Amino acid sequence: MSRAEETVWEVFARQAYEEPLHHVGTLTESDEDLALVCARAIYDEHPWVHMILVPRAEIREAIRA
Amino acid sequence: MSTSTGSTLDAATVTMISLIGSLADNKSALGRRYGEWAVSAPTIESAVAAAAMAQDELGHARSTYPVLAKLGVHRDDEGLDAGYPLRVIAAELPDWASVIAANLVVDGILTTWVASARDSALEPLAQRARKILQEEGAHRVHAEAWLRRLCAAGGADRDLLLTRIAEMWAAAARWPGPADHAGYRAAVSEGMVSAGPAEIRGRVRDWLTGRLMSAGAAADLRDPSDWSDWDESHRR
Repeated sequence: MSRAEETVWEVFARQAYEEPLHHVGTLTESDEDLALVCARAIYDEHPWVHMILVPRAEIREAIRA
Repeated sequence: MSTSTGSTLDAATVTMISLIGSLADNKSALGRRYGEWAVSAPTIESAVAAAAMAQDELGHARSTYPVLAKLGVHRDDEGLDAGYPLRVIAAELPDWASVIAANLVVDGILTTWVASARDSALEPLAQRARKILQEEGAHRVHAEAWLRRLCAAGGADRDLLLTRIAEMWAAAARWPGPADHAGYRAAVSEGMVSAGPAEIRGRVRDWLTGRLMSAGAAADLRDPSDWSDWDESHRR
């Protein structure tokens, strides 16, 4: 599988439960479990309390850029 | 065997000293092997994951050596190349399949043993075990995901992984030692660990066989039969 065929994930995280989720980056990985492991390893610059991944293909644009 | 204070040790404690020292040696070697592949992994995401696992393993090694001191054994800090790890992880691994096989088999055996020490009567070991197990969950997810991927790829990738798994198993399955080992049996009866060598091997075999079957594959995971050249102090 070429990298172009793999899933691109948008990564969001927050440092405190009362904070909103912030976009912290992206990663490319076709396996969902590996994506979760990699996201925690790549975006470890803060002691996050919550991190979520969203497949870019699942995002719907209300206003197109 | 005697401690740095000259006192004679019972069979259970001698076995635990061997297991804990070897656990640290092998975690140090695994950390180095993962770290070497942090610059050569197939993708940058995998490279970061390998680097994170290397950091975990080296941290586990560093924090496990002091448990030996609690048992009265002093070991000099001789650096990263010190100790007597399993020979299959004693030098740089030749391919990514070997990294994943080490992740599955060597990490699997060691972590299963650590899980058996979670409620150890040796409190410093129990404390280390609980911390190690928190971090090893991600290593297992990583290993399982790469097993699925390489098996799904089929062909040479799949065949090489199965070969490497069998090679790692032949070495790592000997690490817990013979099923009837008197010192290990005493360690279990004294609550230092909760599972004997055969149970450790059985748990890893059941888990790995299940994962391989799900991926349409199988590997030779037989129990070791010849213990004539097994070195108890280095567990290999």
